[in-house]
Amino acid sequence: MTRLRTRAVPYMMVLPAIVMFTLFLLLPIAYTVYLSVRRLRVSGLGFGGGARREVGVGFANYSASLSDPELWHGALRVLLYGSIVLPVMLGLALVFALLLDSSVIRLRRFSRIAIFLPYAVPGVIATLLWGFMYLPSVSPILNVMQRLHLPQPDFLTPVAIFPSLANIAVWGGVGFNMLVLYTALRAVPRELYDAARVDGCSELQLALRVKIPLLLPAIILVSVFSIIATLQVFSEPTTLRPLTNTILSTWSPLMKVYRDALIQNDIYSAAATSVIIAAAALLLSFGFLRVVQRRAFGEMS
Amino acid sequence: MTTTVDATRRPGRLRLQGVSQRQPPASQRWRLLPTLVLVAGALYCLLPVIWVPMAATKTGAELFTTFTLAPGHGLIGNLRELSAYRGGQFWRWMLNSAVYTGFGAALSAMLSAVTGYALAKYRFRGRKLVFNLLIAGVLVPQITLAVPQYLLLAKVGLAGSYWSVLLPSIFSPYGIYLARIYATAAIPDEMLEAARLDTASELRVFRSVAIPLMLPGMVTVFLVQFVAIWNNFLLPFIMLSDDDRFPITVGLYTLLSQGASQPALYTLVITGALLSTVPLVALFLSLQRYWRLDLITGGLKG
Amino acid sequence: MRAKFLSRAVSVILGAVLLAAAGCSSGSSGGGTSDTQAQPTPQRPVKLTFWTWVPNIGPVVKQWNSQHPEIQVTVSEQASGDELVTKVLTANKAGNPPDLFQAEYQALPTFVTNDVVADLAGPAGGAKGQFTEGTWRLVTLGTPSVYAVPQDIGPMMLYYRSDLFSKLGLTVPKTWDEFAQLARTVRAKDPKRYLTTFSSGDPGWFAGLSQQAGAQWWQVEGDSWKVNVDDQATQKVADYWDGLVSAGVIDHRPMYTPQWNKAMNDGTLLAWPSAVWGPAVLGGIAPATKGKWAIAPLPQWSASEQKTGYWGGSSTAVAAKSANKDAATKFAVWLNTDPQAVQALIKVAGVYPAATNAQSGPALQQAPAFFPGQTDFYRQAAVIANTAVGFTFGPNVNVTYQAYRDAFGKAIQQKTSFSGAAKTMLDTTLNDMRKSGFSVSG
Repeated sequence: MTRLRTRAVPYMMVLPAIVMFTLFLLLPIAYTVYLSVRRLRVSGLGFGGGARREVGVGFANYSASLSDPELWHGALRVLLYGSIVLPVMLGLALVFALLLDSSVIRLRRFSRIAIFLPYAVPGVIATLLWGFMYLPSVSPILNVMQRLHLPQPDFLTPVAIFPSLANIAVWGGVGFNMLVLYTALRAVPRELYDAARVDGCSELQLALRVKIPLLLPAIILVSVFSIIATLQVFSEPTTLRPLTNTILSTWSPLMKVYRDALIQNDIYSAAATSVIIAAAALLLSFGFLRVVQRRAFGEMS
Repeated sequence: MTTTVDATRRPGRLRLQGVSQRQPPASQRWRLLPTLVLVAGALYCLLPVIWVPMAATKTGAELFTTFTLAPGHGLIGNLRELSAYRGGQFWRWMLNSAVYTGFGAALSAMLSAVTGYALAKYRFRGRKLVFNLLIAGVLVPQITLAVPQYLLLAKVGLAGSYWSVLLPSIFSPYGIYLARIYATAAIPDEMLEAARLDTASELRVFRSVAIPLMLPGMVTVFLVQFVAIWNNFLLPFIMLSDDDRFPITVGLYTLLSQGASQPALYTLVITGALLSTVPLVALFLSLQRYWRLDLITGGLKG
Repeated sequence: MRAKFLSRAVSVILGAVLLAAAGCSSGSSGGGTSDTQAQPTPQRPVKLTFWTWVPNIGPVVKQWNSQHPEIQVTVSEQASGDELVTKVLTANKAGNPPDLFQAEYQALPTFVTNDVVADLAGPAGGAKGQFTEGTWRLVTLGTPSVYAVPQDIGPMMLYYRSDLFSKLGLTVPKTWDEFAQLARTVRAKDPKRYLTTFSSGDPGWFAGLSQQAGAQWWQVEGDSWKVNVDDQATQKVADYWDGLVSAGVIDHRPMYTPQWNKAMNDGTLLAWPSAVWGPAVLGGIAPATKGKWAIAPLPQWSASEQKTGYWGGSSTAVAAKSANKDAATKFAVWLNTDPQAVQALIKVAGVYPAATNAQSGPALQQAPAFFPGQTDFYRQAAVIANTAVGFTFGPNVNVTYQAYRDAFGKAIQQKTSFSGAAKTMLDTTLNDMRKSGFSVSG
């Protein structure tokens, strides 16, 4: 009797999550897939009842999306953008987490909250904030550079826009990722370090040889989720778009989804593009995990 | 010096081998380097953030005419105007945010804790499938889910209610994954075995052993979800139509986006945004002490 | 203890979800559907929901509520813009749109083709006389039906810094040729200033300028749409601005950014082709320049003409799925034609009325706060409003407007032709309409 109960316990424990997942993720996803093979067909002017019908169109939405050059351009832009953001943000998050956890640090509290703060700034003022930071006539950075007689770069040219966007993402995301890694570090019993210190390990060696290997599962977590988030980049380019002529409404694939779904009221195309993006993200993260499979999940699965 | 680390399933066993060296005497400058690096990072993060309080102190006339990072003279005026806007609507929005976020984050942390613990500490059939499925949820962005979620909730008559914002916020793949990792690292199997000898109830084991050990991790999940829900815009924007139920994010957006013929109330929005970060900072500061908890192995905790 | 709390919490939530699903919904803003309690009261007030973004409209609606206890209207303040259109469409799809909502003129055809708005020709047809023909067409789309009641309009006019014009010795341009010349003069006199900027972020602005030139982007011809987004008039406008931007005599950065706001403050930009609601915006972004601006009609394409276009403007529409269409229509007509209501709208909400009587009414006798010197501001505005011609909007204006932003942004960035960008707008619009199945000719 007890064994049966015990056997059932883990299932009961994951049940709430499964229920929520089904209700709020699985059902909407199923509905999205359903929408992706439909279209709204109008006849004539479109006025009057009965002029609109929803019809099944097979893979027409998918082929339309895939044959749209903007989708591919967007994908390339995202790859370039990701290649800047991911190493910088994750590298900094790791470095900051290790620094916070080490024993030779002063001003720990100040740094911790300072690095967290960008994450707390609401997105509704992001365009204002970055407008003030990047636009030449109001930017304090460019102002200072002008006074120092340094060359003032234009942050919003088609080339400079990549590091400018990456900067926003790094600034906003390093705190969150640092927090995750730092928490994982706090899970490690302190005795482990004592043993290493007794053996003469310096803080740096401790960090490199002890902490990072222990932290690997968390690093993988953070990396995979960051890769997926980067593939879904939307808010940074949308933030800068009103400020410059450089960014199209389809700059990133997810912007195209947003535009279709919420501006042009074409939820069907949006659904098809979403499925494509999700599939690409799945493939990429799957591939990434395969590469690091043994290292990280050896201890977990 | 060679050091190998054998991080096996039992974190209690760590072997160091190899030749040990005495730590070379570090010069004063090198000892400050880590702190300098960290502080540099902190300042990099702070610079754009400083704009928010500086801009909130400016009047409408000063906002676009004075130096960007200089303070102005309008803070009291802005606060008063914001407070008076439509009879204190902003405070209503703040209350709503507190409701959505407080309950949402707490429930999310609890859900993540239970699920993460189960996935970490039990070997059951379908475990891998469940885990992969739950995490795959992250592949679908909120933008895609927004309209279908609205339509589904409308079918059960919940669209526009507090539930419509609360319920979708509870499930967090990130929280579950974090909880799982934390549970694996922080809860030694020996302690669970010891607890199981004392009691037959798995739930009691969870409650008395796992939860205290997972607490710092759960605090992080709570904090992360709190910020995510507090700053969430798209979900409440799609779900809610009654402006009395708006959270701060949607409320401020209506101030910014009042139509072509109305000026955006920039100063009010910035002041509102500043006020909106205050609870987050307060929460962060008060939860910090959980990260200083040391984990004691051995024995059961009451 | 925590686990117990946890499991209790979970069961409470699940229970609540089930309860709520079973029908005790706190519900969204549905139309005036009756409550679950069927009490045999003879005259229960009809409850209407009204989605609008006009700020401070509360007192106006309160006025109606006190005068009409049998029809009670609840206002829900929303954000304006494309996402609101989607919200209304989605709410309609879910079966509970608001009874009344504010619809910008360019969004109205989208609502019509989605069967969201009711035909008000019967109860509201009589209001036709209160509006100019140009305005009325915006809500009939050239058909016998009436899809909304016009609320406010945005006839375009030129705002300029009168103080800087005198200081630099500039004259107000009456034609677009003079405007071009003036732009060059400004650059010659002070390389730091521009006469104005061309914005790739404001398609409504460009549409209004095209309207002035006589463009007809969409037309209803029998049973199909005639689409001509890059007709001759539009190309004329595009080429004109192209010339100025490529010569560097007009700025090319978008409006409504912190940089633009600053430029309006410190005189880097001297003029702003805008609409009658300009004072409110200027007061918001550049309060320190109060009293330094003046208005004039837009420059004309030929010296003998007096025409202008519309930039923005909205109407009040009634949902087709509303359970109380008649009551809602009554309110919509009252809000936008009743002299008291319109005066209140002007006073508290700063709306420029579409109703012609109100344009010369008491509330518009003084100058707006931002133009203390110009007492004949609204008299001028009324004259200009009379010369405004719009065009019919099509069923996929959002597609066209997004195409404008992308195509013109690209054209400015890559220094390619603006009329090419206009052609891209046309192609994108046509493709989208054909893809959806609309009958398109031309």
